[in-house]
Amino acid sequence: MAYRHFEFIEKHVWTLGILTAIMVSIGGLAEITPLFIEANKVQPAEGVKPYDPLRLAGRDVYVREGCYLCHSQMIRALRFETERYGHYSTASESVYDRPFQWGSKRTGPDLARVGGKYSDAWQRVHLMAPREVVPQSNMPDYPWLSLALLDGKDIQARMRVLRMLGDPYSDADIKNAPKAVAGKTEMDALIAYLQGLGIDNEPQKPAAAPAAPASDGGAP
Amino acid sequence: MSNAWSLWVMFLVVFNLGITFILFLWAPRAKVPTLPDGTTGHVWAHGAIREGMHRLPMWWILVSFAMFFGAFGYLMLYPGFGNHKGTLGWTSHGELARDTAANDARLDAAFQRFDKYSIEQLAGDREALAMGEVLFRDNCAACHGRDAHGNVLLGAPNLADNDWLYGGDGKAIETSILDGRHGAMPAWGPQFGDAGVANLANYVLSLSNLPHDAAKATAGKALFTVCSACHGPEGRGNPAIGAPNLTANNWLYGGDLETLETTIREGRGGIMPSWRGRLGANDARVIAAYVYSLSHGDPTNTK
Repeated sequence: MAYRHFEFIEKHVWTLGILTAIMVSIGGLAEITPLFIEANKVQPAEGVKPYDPLRLAGRDVYVREGCYLCHSQMIRALRFETERYGHYSTASESVYDRPFQWGSKRTGPDLARVGGKYSDAWQRVHLMAPREVVPQSNMPDYPWLSLALLDGKDIQARMRVLRMLGDPYSDADIKNAPKAVAGKTEMDALIAYLQGLGIDNEPQKPAAAPAAPASDGGAP
Repeated sequence: MSNAWSLWVMFLVVFNLGITFILFLWAPRAKVPTLPDGTTGHVWAHGAIREGMHRLPMWWILVSFAMFFGAFGYLMLYPGFGNHKGTLGWTSHGELARDTAANDARLDAAFQRFDKYSIEQLAGDREALAMGEVLFRDNCAACHGRDAHGNVLLGAPNLADNDWLYGGDGKAIETSILDGRHGAMPAWGPQFGDAGVANLANYVLSLSNLPHDAAKATAGKALFTVCSACHGPEGRGNPAIGAPNLTANNWLYGGDLETLETTIREGRGGIMPSWRGRLGANDARVIAAYVYSLSHGDPTNTK
């Protein structure tokens, strides 16, 4: 390469831009593309099922209210996380999360395995007015959730779309959805969603897990 | 990762490092045409600003070169070059297992010592209490409060007052933590009607010598035989099923007339979740010891 090539790149902004883009994308191409293309090979972990209608509605309330902005749902493989939250999260647990709720911001605690940690009554009081149970909390109140009733037809439409994307809902599942959410509020749905997080899909008991990891993490 | 993707990653690594290496070879030797005044001839602002010509300083080249070779060391020792696992065999899960084992070993001596004591004895152990307090704040305070005084909105009992639903010895507290408790007060509204509920609520108030309507309380006393199945004929409760003592003026959900009527009419189903899976036996014991110490004085407190 002679200096005139260098000068050409420097003086032609599109050439400079394209070559810069190639160089800065190398890291992403190496790290992201293999995982992205092979993501369809991730199989649901044992016990991981598509969301039932009520929990599906709750998941959508969770997304709509932006809970992910303050709560992650990914326990990292670090001792101080597994000690507090339980077994680290695995990709096979999130196969039915569209979009996944891993998150990267923790103003509040991680919720990946919060299911069953508190009673339904606690969740209700906490969502209505968090400071009634945790005085130092800075979480907002969500009282309107208890006023909004769920629409069964709407849930059916969501289930049909998810089935198109590959979630194994049966015709009976979709047909019975309105019955499952009849008379339920968004609050009920969100609580059902939260109480199901991590419960049936924990790869191993948290106490035993860190000593004997499910996999060595070598192959992504 | 399949072999094809492994090759893809290897190609990108080689490509990236290769370009870097070529630049290293070329840049220090590149012949840059300069004008007699030592500038490159690039001008801005009608010649007011001219681009000078300086070689990269040697320290910059050396540091950059060190990082370049550092990359080879990293790719050899750690996973990164395609499917190459790295000669150190490092994985994040392996590191987690090592950290956890190291922490368990660090705590092992303490827990082995704690095992020799009963929970009541442990409540006098400064180290156990310190651990128990931290664990209590992390796990229990959400319902029972940081001061353990409970929360009437949830029916979470006060743990600092030595009045117990399911028994207050160390073993009972430990069982409550490990297996959880489910309160089951049925709804009596349909059976007794509004008048009956009001009569019963006044009778319950009278049991704790609180202000009440004497006539209604007398009428409620007759109905209380149904309640006595769980709360006992004198309303002193039953720790075997967690039926609260109604004579102690100590209320789970509040002791005003309105709250008592709601409790009787609609029933209550307070839930203490099971912590066996989340905490494990060792942690549950030190928390039980901490909770026991709250209502039995803190023998290690020298203040």
